[in-house]
Order: sequence, then C-alpha cells, then structure tokens
Amino acid sequence: MFPIIRLVNRNLTISINPAFLLWQIIFPVIYIFIAGFAYTSLIQEVPYGVKNLGYPAFLASGMIGFNIMNSTLVSGIIIWNDRKYGMFEQIMSGPFTRTNYILSNICTIGIIGLVSATLIAVIGYPVFFDSIEFSLITIPLIVFAAVTGSVLFGSIASIIATKLKSSEGFNVILNTAFLFFAFVSTAFYPAVGAPEPLRTVFFFNPLTYLVDVIRAGIFGEITQLVIIEMGILASIATILFIIATKLLTKLDF
Amino acid sequence: MSCVNVEHLSKSYGSVIAVNDISMSIKKGQVFGFLGPNGAGKSTTIKLLTTLIQPSSGNLSILGINAIKNPLKVRHKIGAVLQQPSFEPTLSVEKSLEKYGMMWNVPKTERKIRMEKLLRDFELVEIRKKRNEDLSIGQRRRVQVAREFMHEMDLLFLDEPTVGLDPSARRNLLDYLKKKVKTGLTIFFTTHILTEAEYLCDEIAIIDQGKIIAVDTPEALKKRFGNKKTIKIHLLKNQEDIISLLSGIPDCTIDFSSGTNITIHSEQSEVVLMKVLRILNENGKEIDDLSAVPTNLEEIFLKMVSENVSNH
Repeated sequence: MFPIIRLVNRNLTISINPAFLLWQIIFPVIYIFIAGFAYTSLIQEVPYGVKNLGYPAFLASGMIGFNIMNSTLVSGIIIWNDRKYGMFEQIMSGPFTRTNYILSNICTIGIIGLVSATLIAVIGYPVFFDSIEFSLITIPLIVFAAVTGSVLFGSIASIIATKLKSSEGFNVILNTAFLFFAFVSTAFYPAVGAPEPLRTVFFFNPLTYLVDVIRAGIFGEITQLVIIEMGILASIATILFIIATKLLTKLDF
Repeated sequence: MSCVNVEHLSKSYGSVIAVNDISMSIKKGQVFGFLGPNGAGKSTTIKLLTTLIQPSSGNLSILGINAIKNPLKVRHKIGAVLQQPSFEPTLSVEKSLEKYGMMWNVPKTERKIRMEKLLRDFELVEIRKKRNEDLSIGQRRRVQVAREFMHEMDLLFLDEPTVGLDPSARRNLLDYLKKKVKTGLTIFFTTHILTEAEYLCDEIAIIDQGKIIAVDTPEALKKRFGNKKTIKIHLLKNQEDIISLLSGIPDCTIDFSSGTNITIHSEQSEVVLMKVLRILNENGKEIDDLSAVPTNLEEIFLKMVSENVSNH
C-alpha cells in the first residue's frame, strides 16, 4: 500500500466518528427541511438563469457547498491534533515524508468533501428533483467543485492550524472565518436583492463561487460566468494549497 | 559491526549550539545509553539520528545508510519512541496498535497476531478498549512504547521511555528490551534514571552542554572515574575518642556525622577498611553495622557533569 493511502486510512479512522457523521446528516436536514420551508414565506422563488427555483431547492444546493466547507474543518483538526498530541513528529519519524503527510490530508478532505456532497445531494433530492438537469458535463462539474472546494477550504484550515498554538485561538479563528464564509455568500440566499456593499462582498468569498458551480452542475446552467468562477476557484485553491504546504514544510519539531 | 556512525555532528539554532561536534559509534545488537542533564542535547541528538532534523555539519551513517542524503531510507528501518507523548486521543488502545501497524504496512493477519502479543507483553489487555484520552500518563506511555514494536526494525531509539511508569512497569519494559536485544535489535536509550542505564546498557555516552564527555561500558566508566569507594560504619555507642584513633590512617578522608556514624572515602578502600577494623578491634569498639558502598553510575555522572561545568 502506498504511504499516502495508509495515511488517508489513518486520517479517516481518527476523524470519522459517529458524532461527526450524525452532525453531517442532521445539520443539513434541519437547514433544508426546516429553514428551507420556513423561509418559503419570505423567499418564494429565486430566479436562476431561465428558471425560477423554489427556496428549498436553492438552499439545498447551497448546503452542498456549505457542507463541503464544513467538512474540511477536519483537515485543520487533524493537523492541530497531530501537533498537539505528538503524532506529527511520530509520523515524520516513520516511513513518511512531509509531502506524503500533506497529500494525505488533501486526499482525506477530498474524500470527505465528495461523500458530504453526495450525502446532501441525496438528502436534498426530494426538494430539487423537479429542477435537476444532470448531464455528462454537469456531474463532473459537481465533482470538480467538491474536490476544489475541499482543497481550498482544507488549505485555509491547515494554514490556521499551523499558525496558531492555543486551541482556543484555533477554534475561535476557524469558526469565525467559516461563519463569515457561510453567511457572506450565496449559499443561503441569492446575491440579487442583497444591499450594497454586501452584494459585492459576496463575490470576494470563495464559497460563493463554489456554490455557484455546484448549482450550475445540479440545475444545468453552465454560463460563461460559471466557467470564470471555476477558474477563480481553482486558482485560489492552488495558491492556498501552496501556502499551506510551505507552512507545513517549515513546521519545527 | 557498527550500526550507527556519527562523525563531528553539530546542530545549531541561530547562535545556540545544541549539539557540538559529537562523534560516536554504536555496535549492532547492543543497548547504547545516552545520558545527560536536562538541556544537554540528548533529544536534539535523537532527532538528528532519527532524521527528524538535519545537522548543521558532520556525517551520519545509520545502518550503513547515509542518513543526511537518504533520511527516508533510514526511517524505514528504525523505530522511535520520542520523549513527547504521542497518541491519537479518540482511538482505543487496540485500535492504536492496529492502525500503527497498518501505517507501517504490516499485513493485516500479522498485525492482529502482533497486537495480541503486545497487549499481553505490556499488560494492556484490561485496557484494550479504553480510548487513549482516558488513559493515565503511565498507561499511555506503555501504549506508545508497545506500538513501536508493531513493526520490524533494526534500530530503536527510545527517548526516556520509562517516564511516568511505575517501578513494576519500568522493570517489565527493561526486561522486554533486554529480550529484544537478544534477537539482534540495537537500542539507543536515553534516561535520567541511571540505575536503568546501569541495568540495561552495554555502553554509555555522557553528554553535557552539547558535547560528549565520556563513552565507555558502565564497568569501565566506574573503573575510570569511580575508584573512590565509601565505607559506612555505625558503632553501638557514642565514641568521642574515635577521631583521634582513626586520624592516623593514610589515603582516606573520614567524616563523623555523629559520635556513632563514620563515613570513610578512599581509593584504597580495602586496605583502609582493614586498618579501621583493626583499630576498632584493638580499642574494644563494638560495631553495629558496616557497609561498603560501590560507586554507582549516578555518582560518576554527577561528578563528570560538575567537573565539565567547572571546566567551562
């Protein structure tokens, strides 16, 4: 077995526990089926390309992106725990390189991101099945978004984990950053109608691009803007991944 | 055959020299003890030898491999129990062992066999289902050491492995290590407990302020640095005249802590002891207890380190 696969196996074992899985299911269920339908009285339909989406369908597709981002907290937590509990040093004294370690983390969050996206797609299917337009082009789009989004947000979590020494600081900063990403994006509501400058700020947020690409994949609306967003997403993910890798490589024992 | 060859190895952090031009050679199949006070450079040396950090200068060969050029190749053949506790808090004891074996690419069936054996050998059977975060410090340390034996290795680095262990667990571990050495394993062992080093090690190096100040077998170190022995005599009654009676004995220093206790330090302990006994006998002084204390490694260690400090 390749070293990276062995480390991924280990990462999945230590990060996936019943509480995590339950949270991954319960959280989106509450959002989609309670908030989604409750807010229908405020937002009945959301214009999306040539269609009008029901709010639950809009929210469910946004939840896929949100959950991918949330799952990547795992990456930061793995690095943080490995440093705190001495496993980073222990692994590095074994038959692994730092590159193995970094790539295994990325693969781990990629897998968790994909599984998470699939899970929400299955859970949310009853609310957006009317508007779904899957095709051979749109499905790879969702996979692209899941993997790129995982790398992007996983890298952010990794950067924070390498930079902070106190667990309080780590939790506060990570949660604040992810809360900002969640609510200053188009995951829960459309940008159209949001007041300026909030509306503009939405587009400085990578979660907005991630969610837009996922929606394009689900509802089959691949526009030029979506392609640009994919490029931006991939570029930010690459830059953040390089920064995270450099910081991890410089970690002292 | 040499298992580890260190030549003029140094490691600096800015202006601080943690390891200063050390050289040593460790033979295959022996336990090599590495002693030194806190901050002497023991852990930095272990990190250099396990290739966790790169040296500032010098040469390092581990198991015949150039460890500076091929660190990964070295790490495939060694095991390391580092000073810092390392564990996965949410995993149970048995899962920790199993996953560690998997990380080292040990086949599944072999992992199962080794895990069961280690659980027994390290007396972990009763706590096998307990999560690491719920274990005591000593139990966690036992798991950490046991875990390292999940994989095959030629050389094992143990950085103060008995910290936190109770005396019984400590002795079990030392005996387990002795058994492993008989199968051909080489061990590099650091400790603060010098009786452990004396019990386990075939050869000992003493490091202080980043420099190795002595390397030899425990016995040779004792011969070289511990000729002076201590004789303790406890008399039955308070004897005020004992000072004048013994003061004429040459080649020794005599301390009277009270009228009944006499402590004699001498490099000619046997000759001095005979003279003391003769004088006491001739003067009718009754002895309650007598003991000759051999010089232990701890005394040598303290002597050498204090001499090294005063030389600097």
